Amino acid sequence: MNVLQAGLAGALGGSLFALMALGLSLTWGFLKVINLAHFGLILLGSYLTFELATTTPLGPINTLLVTAPVLGVLGAAIHIAYERFEVSELSSLLVSYGLLIILVQVVHNIWSADFQRMDAMVNPYATRSIRLGDLGFPLPTLLAAGFGLVLVVLVSTIVNRTYAGRALRAFGQDREIASAFGIDHRLIGMALAGVAGASAAIAGMLFALRGTITPDAAFEWVGLVFAIVILGGIGNVVGTFYAGLLVGAVSGVVALLWTPSHSPLVVFSMVVLALVFRPGGLFPRRAGRH
Amino acid sequence: MKRGRGWIPLAAIALSIAVLPWIRELTGFPASYLVLLSGVLFWTAQATSWNILSGYSGYFSFGQGAFYGVGVYTLAVLVGRQGQSWWPALLLAGLAGVLLALVIGTIAFRLRSLRGEIFALLTLAIPFILSAIARVTDSIDGGQGIILPVPDYPDFFGPFQQFIFWLSGAVAVLALVIAYGMVRTRYGWALFAIHDDEAVAEGLGVPTFRHKMIAIAANGLIAGLSGAVSALQVGFISPEGTFNLRVPLFVIVMSVLGGRLFWAGPAVGALYVVTLQNRLAGGFEGWSLIILGAVLVLLVLFAPEGIMARFVRRPWTIVSVVAGVLAALALYGGDPVTWFAVALGIAAVVALLPAGKPTGRRASAPAGRLGSTRTDPGSDLPPPATGKTLLEADDLTRRFGGIHALRGVSMRLLEGELVGLVGPNGSGKTTLVNLLSGALRPTSGSIAVDGADIVDVAPHKIVHQGIARTYQIPRPFNSLTVRDNVVVAIMFGREPRGLTASRQAAEEYLALVGLSDLGEVRPGGINLHERQLLEMARAMATRPRILLLDEALAGLNPVEIDNAVAVVRRIHRSGVSIVLVEHLLRVVNQLATRIVVLDQGRLLAEGDPATVMRNPAVVSAYLGSEAHAQRD
Repeated sequence: MNVLQAGLAGALGGSLFALMALGLSLTWGFLKVINLAHFGLILLGSYLTFELATTTPLGPINTLLVTAPVLGVLGAAIHIAYERFEVSELSSLLVSYGLLIILVQVVHNIWSADFQRMDAMVNPYATRSIRLGDLGFPLPTLLAAGFGLVLVVLVSTIVNRTYAGRALRAFGQDREIASAFGIDHRLIGMALAGVAGASAAIAGMLFALRGTITPDAAFEWVGLVFAIVILGGIGNVVGTFYAGLLVGAVSGVVALLWTPSHSPLVVFSMVVLALVFRPGGLFPRRAGRH
Repeated sequence: MKRGRGWIPLAAIALSIAVLPWIRELTGFPASYLVLLSGVLFWTAQATSWNILSGYSGYFSFGQGAFYGVGVYTLAVLVGRQGQSWWPALLLAGLAGVLLALVIGTIAFRLRSLRGEIFALLTLAIPFILSAIARVTDSIDGGQGIILPVPDYPDFFGPFQQFIFWLSGAVAVLALVIAYGMVRTRYGWALFAIHDDEAVAEGLGVPTFRHKMIAIAANGLIAGLSGAVSALQVGFISPEGTFNLRVPLFVIVMSVLGGRLFWAGPAVGALYVVTLQNRLAGGFEGWSLIILGAVLVLLVLFAPEGIMARFVRRPWTIVSVVAGVLAALALYGGDPVTWFAVALGIAAVVALLPAGKPTGRRASAPAGRLGSTRTDPGSDLPPPATGKTLLEADDLTRRFGGIHALRGVSMRLLEGELVGLVGPNGSGKTTLVNLLSGALRPTSGSIAVDGADIVDVAPHKIVHQGIARTYQIPRPFNSLTVRDNVVVAIMFGREPRGLTASRQAAEEYLALVGLSDLGEVRPGGINLHERQLLEMARAMATRPRILLLDEALAGLNPVEIDNAVAVVRRIHRSGVSIVLVEHLLRVVNQLATRIVVLDQGRLLAEGDPATVMRNPAVVSAYLGSEAHAQRD
């Protein structure tokens, strides 16, 4: 039962990282930019949630009304800049790393390097948990799983079922051909980058909900989130979510049976094995890659 | 860009490092400069070692922290935990770096599906694994951290900081010597070729796997040694302090800033970043990283080739700026490091100012470039076929999934022949060329050169058997000049030569195809016809006995076709046997001593041109699709 509890709690916790990975995976898979600045946006989302929830009567979850549009616009703006300078996949890594450094440092300069956390009055979710039979789950992770599920269903429906989604997939496979068939890549790219930015706001809010935040958290996410993107398959929305749950569950079980320090060992060994044997991700799409 | 007398600055750097501590004793400048310079030297070693793999070959690595960390922990465990002497531990740390590199390389570079991003991500995962291993293994770290005593070193080295300075200097010089040595030899050129087009590099005789392994081993060696020195200096080691993102990200910033394609680029980048950080340390920490991030963004967008590329283009501007600042320093006094930082800043601004138009070498190309090949002395008679079989393909079949591209095709090439390989689109001509050149392996069947089977031979070794090919759509190395494209082929061909000899020999091949005037131009600046001629020059530079020309005349206008035909004929007369894949029957009839016709992956007919062209099966295969081609 302990193993089950650890696995389930871990999987729910993993859904937060799946949310972080979702935006990265989308822009990488469909727009061919590896946007490290995404981590900066998530961090900014966390701090904006903290700031707004502390200084206004909005309440932490409702801060999304402000942060999601703000970060959505910011994400779209960054993408327009990438487009404007015709940044390639590799140089996007460098440029967005520069942006990440700047964003983290800006957060650092405004809110200091110290730990920040929302007051218990402001954030009643952090300490609450819900019991299902013998199993108990912290409320923030349940919220993360809920938001993650909704967002994944929404995005995968758009990508798989709508004209915009088909255009997006065409664009992800061959930009020039897609443009030749009249697909307006600017608009679609901007919209997608905006959605990714808004998802960063949600992930940031959920991270702030869990407890303490520091500027360095952005760098700590990088490894785990990339692991999820790779395991899920780049650009594979549903796969990313599964991979987040899987990574979380594995981490939880390993931490219980062994020690928490062993979790990265197992998770990143899985990443290496996946890259060697399943470079397309653990969850290949039914229709095949092309 | 990759020529010149780099050993002079290299020797000057080594000498300065060797004598600096003594100069300090004479002039009494503060020891803090020595600390600052040790930092520059540490980052020079780290960034240069990263650049040898990732800058030269284009395999972008996030794993620098892994090599660095293995060096740090090897020394820390041997010295701090087991009380070993520092210098054997230092050497073992370098060895550990090499071993880790070879393990990663063996796994990664053997992958069929390896692409740049996959390699980058693979190397991203390694430091996390190593960090976890260090944390959970009590005999390595166990989460306690390791405290290192000040090592017992000979008194000759003076104060500890001076000892560290010399050690860091030795490793940095080693790194620069390796980086420079590679640029001046085939080791570096193999990597440049891999950077631009790995498959073509392999097809020109470059043993790509071996050279990638050498590059990653060099990366591991230097990073491991340098990590070990920094462990001695720091004195306290923990997994968090070792396997963080600082090392992998700083080396990338420094190399991009300095210039990834220059041996000294990462060192220049290290100089800039360390000086900048030092000057911003007094109260401006909050800005230091913002400036660094902005510098990275702006550089990648506006000067992706780095500062070195600009320095090399206008060295005198830079020299005069530095001289001016030195003069100002002599007049006003003040903190030399500040002046130096100002000098660096001005030099960077001057270097990055838009340079009018970057050296318009293209403009020097004369109008009548093709003239030299027109006059074609001697008769049109090809050398007689001697009857000795050079190349023999037997019952070749190749499937792609369920599609049969070739079904049981057999053909042979005799010495001195020029076989025209014709057939409608999709008949399997290019597949046959890919099989003969080793780019693809047959599903079944055999290919022999001089009776020796080559089916399981790596493509680069097939080049050494004397087979070279061209590509239907030219695939030049775009970051190298036209001449250097040929140089690579000579360096790795059947009769390999050194860089200087190859540069001289390259003229002969450029002249053979009539590109002598365009040697200094990059492939982006020449037209399709010239690129196809470059393909031929590059293939000939491997000194083949058999040349496979895959539609070398596709997309040309009539004048260009005549010129290309003359070049092919000249190559044939020089004694090379040729397989010519071609659509234009007029051309094939003119050149070929024998014709092989493919249709839907099968051998339809073969024989001398006149007979084959009257063959009813051939006529019907061609009618409609290709009959009109005969008329133009």
